[in-house]
Amino acid sequence: MSESRGRRAYRLLLRALPPDMRDRFGGEMEELLDHRLREAGASSVRRGLVWLRALGDVAVQSMALRFEERRGGTMRLGSIVQDVRYALRGIRTSPGLAVLAVMTLGLGIGASTATFSVVHGVLLERLPFEDPGRLVVVWPEVNANKAMTVMAAERMPSLEAVSGLSGWTLTLTGVGEPREISGLKVSANYFDLIGVRPVLGRGFAPGEDLPGAGGVVVLSHDFWVSAFGADPTVVDRMVDMGGADYDRRRIIGVMPPGVADFPEDIDVWIPLEGDPAVTLQADDTWYVNLRIARLAPGATLERANAEVRAYAAAVQGELPEHFAREDVDRATVRELREYRTSDVRASMWIALGAVGLVLLIGCFNVANLLLARGDRRRQDLAIRAALGAGRVRMTRMLLTEAGVLGLSGGLLGVGAAYGLVRVIVSQAPEDIPGIASVSVSPAVLAFAVGITIVSTIVAGLVPAVRAARVDATSSLGGGTRGADRPRTGRLTPALVGVQIALAVVVTIGSGLMLRSLTRLLAVDPGIDGRNVVTFNPVPPAGRYPDGPSFRDYYRRVMERVAALPFVESVGAIHLLPGTTNNWSFPTYPEGFAGEAGAPTPFANFRAVRGDYFGVTRLPLRAGRVLTDADREDSEPVVVVNEAYAHRFWPDEDPIGKTLHIFSPQGTSYRVVGVVADVHQHGLQLEPLPEMYFSHEQVPWNQMSMWIVARVRPGTPEPARLASPLRDAVWSVDPQVPVTGMAVLSDVLSRSARGTRFLTVLLSAFGGLALTLSAVGVFGVTAYSSARRRGEFGVRLALGSSRVSILRSAVTRSLLPVCVGLIAGLFVASLSSGLLESALFGVSASDPLTFVGVTVVIALTAVAASAIPAWRATRVDAARVLASE
Amino acid sequence: MPRPRRAEDFLPLHPLEFRILLALLDGATFGTRIVQAIEAAEPGHSRLYPANLYRRIRDLMSDGLLEATPAPRGADPRRTYVRLTRMGHAVARAEAGRLRDLVADATRHRLLRADP
Repeated sequence: MSESRGRRAYRLLLRALPPDMRDRFGGEMEELLDHRLREAGASSVRRGLVWLRALGDVAVQSMALRFEERRGGTMRLGSIVQDVRYALRGIRTSPGLAVLAVMTLGLGIGASTATFSVVHGVLLERLPFEDPGRLVVVWPEVNANKAMTVMAAERMPSLEAVSGLSGWTLTLTGVGEPREISGLKVSANYFDLIGVRPVLGRGFAPGEDLPGAGGVVVLSHDFWVSAFGADPTVVDRMVDMGGADYDRRRIIGVMPPGVADFPEDIDVWIPLEGDPAVTLQADDTWYVNLRIARLAPGATLERANAEVRAYAAAVQGELPEHFAREDVDRATVRELREYRTSDVRASMWIALGAVGLVLLIGCFNVANLLLARGDRRRQDLAIRAALGAGRVRMTRMLLTEAGVLGLSGGLLGVGAAYGLVRVIVSQAPEDIPGIASVSVSPAVLAFAVGITIVSTIVAGLVPAVRAARVDATSSLGGGTRGADRPRTGRLTPALVGVQIALAVVVTIGSGLMLRSLTRLLAVDPGIDGRNVVTFNPVPPAGRYPDGPSFRDYYRRVMERVAALPFVESVGAIHLLPGTTNNWSFPTYPEGFAGEAGAPTPFANFRAVRGDYFGVTRLPLRAGRVLTDADREDSEPVVVVNEAYAHRFWPDEDPIGKTLHIFSPQGTSYRVVGVVADVHQHGLQLEPLPEMYFSHEQVPWNQMSMWIVARVRPGTPEPARLASPLRDAVWSVDPQVPVTGMAVLSDVLSRSARGTRFLTVLLSAFGGLALTLSAVGVFGVTAYSSARRRGEFGVRLALGSSRVSILRSAVTRSLLPVCVGLIAGLFVASLSSGLLESALFGVSASDPLTFVGVTVVIALTAVAASAIPAWRATRVDAARVLASE
Repeated sequence: MPRPRRAEDFLPLHPLEFRILLALLDGATFGTRIVQAIEAAEPGHSRLYPANLYRRIRDLMSDGLLEATPAPRGADPRRTYVRLTRMGHAVARAEAGRLRDLVADATRHRLLRADP
């Protein structure tokens, strides 16, 4: 946490103190805290401890001061110590209750704190940019060229500056092992726009994004440390960094940590070159994935949104073949932070909401325990009242007891949160922005303190007030018989009802997610990735300068891989299924006209080599697959998928038809086969029309290929074959980096990770909610049955059967459960729609889930109430009557 | 209730409050210096945190044992410099006397050995 943020957090914390103290000493208190932090040095553990103690310090003193004020300033810490002692004595007399309460609160607070730390880290953490709230993305729904970026700055007065962004993979050689690094092409104004200064050297100068001027590179802090050992003399060094425009670049600067987190894990920034004089139509830089801008002073997001439509309409008017009217209608300007986290925002809030409900269930459990306990302690309290203890003092005493339990629960929860955060982060999909840096920060600790206080009040206030409302005469004079009727009255069953309702809501959420995950994992990806190892050798730019030598390199690599004893067959494809990259081009199928005025249809483009279709077991529906016989000098052919055939030739045989790409002229490719659809970009997305070309016949010389190798059955752990495979590649050329080594089935199932993550979280919360409410029902039935032992004894003596007594006890407990179930189902039917966007193949009102959850909760409640009730009926009638 | 006016009415003094009074016997100063003086005088003293320290200082001021004094020339004017009042001196002395009597009693009971 930066110093200024730390100060802000502490200043916020100091608001708990009386204003006069804050005004007079606030600055000095910050100074003293700084002193303590300086003593702690750089160790994050020691600094964390200082923060914890500072939190405890303010919490204890503010409580002491409040009490002092109420008592006219005469009270000192002494009577609080007395209250704490009383509370500890009370806890010692019933340790079981204390352990249960502390565990319950600890679990709830721990789970909430851990979830909040993820929400805080991902959704609320600020990018290290200047005034990030003014940064926006412009028309993020479409890809653009650089001329469009320039035009946005001219046409939209609400924007102060606009920068284009384009992700590129570069090859670094000559610094350690050859490897791929992730680069971001940006306009020269990018660093000024986001308002960051380099820690070394400089950022891009104006004009460095003009053609021929951009042979420079700015390093991210992490990359500077990992690749150059944080060498302070790195500026002005030349590095071999091929892959985009230049083979060698001059290092001009190093950016501070954190800047590279946007869009994600950038190693280097390079200029997005473009000629400012080029027209919109002539500009072929169609790889500008994102445009970010800063709102001009006084401009609002609303005004920018009004302007973007006019801008998009102007672009569409000039480029009707690129953009449809719908693209213009969908054009927006969105806040950068909101845009960046929009995919996970809903999931995060849902998880936080669910865990909040779990905590509430836990609080009600503790409240019920304390209500019952207050009832048992009536005589003790009555004596205190008779001796002159005021109601306020007694309430405070009992609240202190809840406070001690709450504080212990809070401490346990914070400890648990540290562990839980690690588990959550390790399980989360790595493409959630900022997930890797999630930790229990001071702000998260402040949240934990806050929910601990709120939980303590929710769980402790009502029981304390009720118990303190003791009437000395009736309680002391009434003997034991009067105490048979629990004084907790309607409150306890009401709390149980609310608990059950909340548990229904959470459990239905987790049930829906579970069903959704099952459906998702049942989707056939279209290919069989088991026992298929895949990796991506990327020759540095210029190493194989022309098409024939480049293709020959891959031919030789595949030969070497095929010669390995454990390899059954080998193929290659330039974009691996299950990953996010895509090439999609205008396609012109023979005889397909489309609707008048509609933009040219696009289809996914894939280049393959070798036995790709055999290795992946991609089913052939008609004709033949591509083979090594489809060479540069033979007839140009193509294989399409079923989605392509259905869309463009719905009632015809596609075999033998021809198609063009890019324009209706040029090379014509004859369709020789139709293969099944593949879920290229994730199991939840519908397959799109797709064209497979032979790598030998595509018009680009240098496309890096993913090798796919099917290993022989019985080969132990395909993942362990990385080393011999890499050696095979390096036996052809040791200068080529090999990246992305993985088992194909893992790559394919990665797309389900987001759903799996939310499912695991919600299932854990659902399980917790169910357990806590079962404990609640158990506790309440056990307590009320114990109170009714005398009544049961009398009824047994009068001839009632144990079963009828059991039935009456269980029925009484189950009444609030039924009310809670109905209320919970009602609330769940209203709220489950929130999950809609996260669900796959299951409706938010899925009857099976609703019925299943109802049955599970009802059975759990019956079991939880029957066990203690049965125990209570095992009374000896004679002994009970004798004691009466 | 009227505030007590005799030094004995403040006894026994909270140990931290006594430490603060002792730290100020050398003259007026401000919070962080007081902390450093306390920790230097008693190296095993647990680390003092801001709210605890300033709450004591505030209490001692409202009881009339400390008073604010203008910052010395050249010092940061945002800091509150405090010094002992006459009553503060008297209370510190009374508390020291009380402790001395206690120690004497403990020695008489052979809990401590008398200094040679």
